[in-house]
Amino acid sequence: MFITKLAIKNLLRHRNRTLVTAIIIAFAIFYYILLDSMIGGMTQMSYQTLIDYEAGHLQVVQEAYWDEEEELPLEHLIDLDDEILTVIKGVPGHQGSSPELSFRAMLNNGINELPVVGKGIVPDLFGQVFALEDQYVEGTMFRLGQHQAVLGQRLADLMQLEVGDYITLLVRDKNKTFNTIDVEVAGLVHTSNPNVNSNYVYLPLDLVQQALNTDGQVSKVIVKLANANAAKRVAGELAGVLQTSDPRLQVFAWEDLEAVTVAKAKQAANGLILGIILIIAAIAIINTVILAALERMGEIGMMKALGMQTKEVVYTFVLESVGIGIIGGLVGVLFGVVGIWALNLYGLDYGAWFNLDMASYGIPIIGKMYGVWNPHSFVLVFGFGVLASLLASILPAYWAADKDPVKAIYHR
Amino acid sequence: MALLELKGVTKIYQQGKIEVPALRGIDLTVEQGEFTTVFGPSGSGKTTLLNMIGCLDKPTSGTIIFAGQELGQLNKKGLARLRRCNIGFVFQSYNLIPVLTAYENVEFAIRLVGGRSKKAMHEKVMQILADVGLAGLENRKPGEMSGGQKQRVAIARALVKEPKLVLADEPTANLDSKTSEEVLEVMVKMNQELGTTFIFSTHDPRVMSYARRMLEVRDGLISEDKRGDGANVHH
Repeated sequence: MFITKLAIKNLLRHRNRTLVTAIIIAFAIFYYILLDSMIGGMTQMSYQTLIDYEAGHLQVVQEAYWDEEEELPLEHLIDLDDEILTVIKGVPGHQGSSPELSFRAMLNNGINELPVVGKGIVPDLFGQVFALEDQYVEGTMFRLGQHQAVLGQRLADLMQLEVGDYITLLVRDKNKTFNTIDVEVAGLVHTSNPNVNSNYVYLPLDLVQQALNTDGQVSKVIVKLANANAAKRVAGELAGVLQTSDPRLQVFAWEDLEAVTVAKAKQAANGLILGIILIIAAIAIINTVILAALERMGEIGMMKALGMQTKEVVYTFVLESVGIGIIGGLVGVLFGVVGIWALNLYGLDYGAWFNLDMASYGIPIIGKMYGVWNPHSFVLVFGFGVLASLLASILPAYWAADKDPVKAIYHR
Repeated sequence: MALLELKGVTKIYQQGKIEVPALRGIDLTVEQGEFTTVFGPSGSGKTTLLNMIGCLDKPTSGTIIFAGQELGQLNKKGLARLRRCNIGFVFQSYNLIPVLTAYENVEFAIRLVGGRSKKAMHEKVMQILADVGLAGLENRKPGEMSGGQKQRVAIARALVKEPKLVLADEPTANLDSKTSEEVLEVMVKMNQELGTTFIFSTHDPRVMSYARRMLEVRDGLISEDKRGDGANVHH
């Protein structure tokens, strides 16, 4: 208790140094919290973008199709019938289900060609699942039976296309025979999803099925639920029901998508980089302890002469460092809370502030970006800050405390 | 039984490739309750001798026996424990902790020893501060005290744990003559009242006159060991 009191008094004794070191730690912690919140917000937006424009909450597919999905094969397709749709509609929290037939194609504007992903959809059902409705820059969605298409504005810009222009999609049907789909551009969209903006061409499902010779078949049925967090559980339940009639069917939740796994891995890597910031804080502590030890060498000698053991002297320095870590940590967390609060209140508008369209760079942000509250990260970074302070102080404190008492006493 | 026995104690410091002998073979016996001064020119080995006696440094050869315990047999921890309970130090530059009050600086030493109730420790600290003439100044920090007052706090800190031996390395070197006398009076008083053994080094002949035993150190050896009468002691 006495040593704790001494440590607190020593913190006040070197007030400026304590303050500067605590500010460095506070800044590192504030920076970590804010960046973690922004990365969390960006990740959440990217999940939301994935759900809103590509994947929905659930995907009903044949398991064999899922394994080869990247190839967009025209095999292992689902024979879509009312029974399957009725079962899907019966899942708890169901808000919509959209059948989709995806295929590879070459987009030709009469001059240039570009590889794209074609998606045959039922516009009414598509609208129940995906949020494309408000993202039209020009034109509108087509109806079934029309020879029309909707594509991303970025793709249209690349191919110098406008609404009303005609395009040709060169495809290979189910029997590997070349075929073409000629359609008029009905609408252009710009979303926060880079795939929708640059790669996808939406077409009426009946038109696509006819061109690909896949009558009544779709690649998958995408389902929207009321609660995204329930997706995993509902997927398991739905798969159980569907497999009673067709054991080849499987249901995957949005969390199972490769893009989500990659995003999580990216977040972990970011955490590692941010950890380096806290190492800087540890260096500040080491510097502080060494300075304090050099200044108090005579005192250290006196303490040892009085009979204090090396570990007890180390303890006094470590306590001081932990004190600095706690002060810096608390201030950093406080600033972090204020920072996230401000970020969530005002948002970060890259478009307005830096005149940047983040979606054009593949970053899933349109409009303002907001952070997420992650109390776990507050506790983690505070604990890490204090622990880093403690660990960083041990070696320099030991260096000082293990000095020969005679040399320490007569140190000048 | 003697409190302290030194037999053939040498200390050689290594400065690069050169060996510098500080003590060349000291034989000395100090009895409990002695009030002894060690004097001699600068670099004669006074401070080294005090450091050896105070278990702060180890001799190159020879043996030191303190209260029947041979110091060479103790490790760092054992030496620290021995210092903590049995030896008090008074330094030339006081070495008080500036953030602590006079009371807390003294309390620090007794807390390290432990073994007493909080109340008993408090009473002991207050009593020793009164004994050295600092009653009423308990809450002053070193920065708010004169040199003489600071050295009194250092003496109180050395005595509060009731050690067998107090070592003082030039305790009056930073003090004016009047304050030096006051500090020495306190040390003599403590020696007489508590029976604590004092060994202190000095250059000052007036200070020496307080001692009842004077050891002259020259070139790392005790060149003279004479008994004084403590003529300046005011009984």
